[in-house]
Amino acid sequence: MASVQNDEGVSLNLMPMLDIFSILITFLLMSYSTDPVSYDISAGLELPDSVTITALDELPTIIVTKNEIMVNDKKVATILGGDVPERDRSQGAVYPVFVELEKLAEANKRVFRGKEDKTKTSVLTMEMDQSHQFKLMKRIMLAAQQAEFVTFKLMVAREAE
Amino acid sequence: MNKKQKKKKKRKAIKYRDIELNIMPFIDVFSLLNTFLLMSAVFIAIGVLEVQIPFLSSAPPDTKDNERTLDISVDVEKEKIEVTTVWSRAPENEEKKDFPLTKAGSAELHKFLVNVRKTNPEYDKVSLFTADDVIWKDVAMVIDAIKTRLPGDPLIVPKNGTDAEKAMATDFIYPKVVMSSVML
Repeated sequence: MASVQNDEGVSLNLMPMLDIFSILITFLLMSYSTDPVSYDISAGLELPDSVTITALDELPTIIVTKNEIMVNDKKVATILGGDVPERDRSQGAVYPVFVELEKLAEANKRVFRGKEDKTKTSVLTMEMDQSHQFKLMKRIMLAAQQAEFVTFKLMVAREAE
Repeated sequence: MNKKQKKKKKRKAIKYRDIELNIMPFIDVFSLLNTFLLMSAVFIAIGVLEVQIPFLSSAPPDTKDNERTLDISVDVEKEKIEVTTVWSRAPENEEKKDFPLTKAGSAELHKFLVNVRKTNPEYDKVSLFTADDVIWKDVAMVIDAIKTRLPGDPLIVPKNGTDAEKAMATDFIYPKVVMSSVML
């Protein structure tokens, strides 16, 4: 009989859990991003910080992780010791990147044929690990230049305002 | 107080003590809201730094041959940033200034470039030359210092600029950054 009375007195105090939930929701609502494009950064890649206020408006085309270069999610070259191997270089540029971008440029020309707004045909977005040297970026840009891409949108991690 | 009244009072007290708020639906809503927010939250906001690379074109140049224009170039080396401002025709008034390649140095560079733009609002292009061994993190820091208009910076609107150029003035100090070292 005594044990029945004890059981009746046990109750779970839910107030601390509610407090935690409230704080968590307040934090999440405050940090909630309304960016029009949400994008998952590639694994093994860290973007440099920036105070830019320009948001990303299209998905990247060139991804340069610590170990490889990808064009439209297709691996085109390997990075060894912070640079592309000699066999993948041509006139200072990364040749496999040039080959892929040339295909992309041809496709762009077909899509934008007859259209007035051709500004997007020469724009590339590049996601690159912050630890890479400019030498590698230059090789990729040279490849893009030869494929007639002259404007780059370089992805950065926006610092908190 | 008779026996009947005492009984009634006791029943009333018990009734009030037994009332409890059912917070379970409230917890359910909170749990769902939490799950939704955690799944859809973007923890790293992505931004872009737009730059141009030089491109050989057969089109005629924008400027007239005899026009006196200001060339602003920024050279980034492993440990320093060098800014050169020079006019294309005499008097050339060449000016050079060095800054360390650090966060403080890039802040100083930003202040210097804001002053240059304030004095010459019609020139909105900077040529950026970068040494091969500079890491992308530092290049991004320098591009930021050149391009982005920070809180407290003056609004510099070119007098004869197009509508697009005037609109860009709210976000940028130098909207056009050309990575001039990308040349064959």
